[in-house]
Amino acid sequence: MLAERMMVTELVTAQVDESVGDVLARMRSAGLRMLPVLNADRTVAGVLSTFSILSYIVPNYIGSGDLKEVAYAPDMGVLRKKHHTIIHQKISDVMEKAPLLVHPHESLLSVSASLIAFGKHEYALVVDENSHLLGVISAGDVLDLLCRLKEGEVNDA
Amino acid sequence: MHNMEAEISSVIFGWDPTWVAVSILLLVYGVIMAEKFNRAVLSLLGAGIMILCGVLNQHQAVAGVDFNTIGLLTGMMVIVAISQKTGMFQYVAIKAAKAVKGDPWGILVMLSIVTAVFSALLDNVTTVLLIAPVTLLITDALGVRPYPYLFALILASNIGGTATLIGDPPNIMIGSAAHLSFTDFLVNLAPIIPVIFIVVIAVVWVLFGRDLTASDESKKLIMQFDESAAIKDVPLLKKSLIVLSLVIAGFTVAHTLHLEPATIAMFGAALLLFLQTFGQSVEEKDHAYEGIMAEVEWTTIFFFVGLFIIVTGVEHTGVIALLAEKTLALTGGDLIATTGAILWVSAVASALIDNIPFVATMIPLIHSMAPTFGGAEAIEPLWWALALGACLGGNGSLIGASANLIVAGFAQRSGHPIAFLSFMKHAFMLMLLTIAISHLYLYMRYLS
Repeated sequence: MLAERMMVTELVTAQVDESVGDVLARMRSAGLRMLPVLNADRTVAGVLSTFSILSYIVPNYIGSGDLKEVAYAPDMGVLRKKHHTIIHQKISDVMEKAPLLVHPHESLLSVSASLIAFGKHEYALVVDENSHLLGVISAGDVLDLLCRLKEGEVNDA
Repeated sequence: MHNMEAEISSVIFGWDPTWVAVSILLLVYGVIMAEKFNRAVLSLLGAGIMILCGVLNQHQAVAGVDFNTIGLLTGMMVIVAISQKTGMFQYVAIKAAKAVKGDPWGILVMLSIVTAVFSALLDNVTTVLLIAPVTLLITDALGVRPYPYLFALILASNIGGTATLIGDPPNIMIGSAAHLSFTDFLVNLAPIIPVIFIVVIAVVWVLFGRDLTASDESKKLIMQFDESAAIKDVPLLKKSLIVLSLVIAGFTVAHTLHLEPATIAMFGAALLLFLQTFGQSVEEKDHAYEGIMAEVEWTTIFFFVGLFIIVTGVEHTGVIALLAEKTLALTGGDLIATTGAILWVSAVASALIDNIPFVATMIPLIHSMAPTFGGAEAIEPLWWALALGACLGGNGSLIGASANLIVAGFAQRSGHPIAFLSFMKHAFMLMLLTIAISHLYLYMRYLS
């Protein structure tokens, strides 16, 4: 099974110069946890996820692990303040700039290995040789495919 | 002298051993300053070349390593690595901030005092590593800019570290080399530290303190911090406090019992490692030990080992004794002038270069001055001048001490970077002021 056969191709995407507020609204209404972010020439610029937005909102000295425990601190309103400023910023400030990229001819095993090898990637972007986005494969898609293979819904080819 | 000449003749290709040794020393210092390579790797390379070229043989090189310094550093690192897991540092910092009812200037003073005291009893780097992030959290809650707080934190850590034998690596090296005990440091250096601290805090008030304001709402927020939630492991906290108290008590009596500080620190470390995992399974114990060992700053330890060998090589060629002679010729063999020269030169040098290699080089230099002044006892003021200069000098610039760089790193990551020159503009002036106070103190106490 190759990446190009299992990837999801109907995608909601965002442009690098859109504001975080606009894109976040779109993500919320579509119930999405991530969006591929594209440059004007349709090449991949990065990935915007709820995780990347939240890690930008949490103060850096906490998020970086310098301060591992903050159980003793009250809700100081820092998250709300930061959220308030971040929604006017461009998503290029907040997005993950080095997403996991895979090629359409990679195998299911290879894509799965890449997803887990780098620790925190829940998604892989499938791109052609010119970095144009073809589709997205998530960890969930891999598991879903395995179930469907077992149930005989799809053939391994 | 005879021995030395016999050994020197074995230097590779018949090169002049003095030039070989001095070139290695200068090359290593130069490349360390360029900050392109790891300093531990450089010092070990330098030490290796020193032996390979035949300036020293392996036996002499190992004999040159001060294992008292190494043991004291390693032991304290283990103790700190375990006790910081308890959350007691955060507890104290928050308690201090609440004690002044959230007043922004009061918090700056309290956090500076906490930092100075912890830096005196533990190492400066660990202290700022634990206090700086809490400080950023507190300034966020207060809605004030963190720079004045971080500025005061840096100065407080270097000032506090000057007070004791274990407060700063230069003091550990000096104490070990000159056989000065924990109590000697307390009696001779600690008394001037509160004076220096108060003067510095007063200047910080003039520079920044007057403008610090916070709303009543922000102050209330500070009072909502729950310090008791910072304590994560009460049994471990008790064990850590017991061992820390025993170790400090041990330091104060070590000299009279003819024990070296390294013995106390390493024993304390072993005891705390043992107590920490008491009653756990073998697997849990192994896991915990490996975690603690990974937190020991082996880079620093290996840096020291290499450095001691390099300096021993240079010392072996007699060039340091020559340098001491030249210095004495400049100061006319006068103790007052020599003390002043060591104090000011150490301070300016430590502001600009790593104070650890500087002190490592100065130690044999001062040792060889002893005969001129009438023996080891007579040169005690020179050791205090070196300690005050090297430790307080670290305040002179952002690169003056490791703790400064750690705080600068936090500031950078939190979006409030500390500019090199704007820090130096105030800090160098304050450093000179603290050295002037130290000069006056040394003069009044030992030289008048």
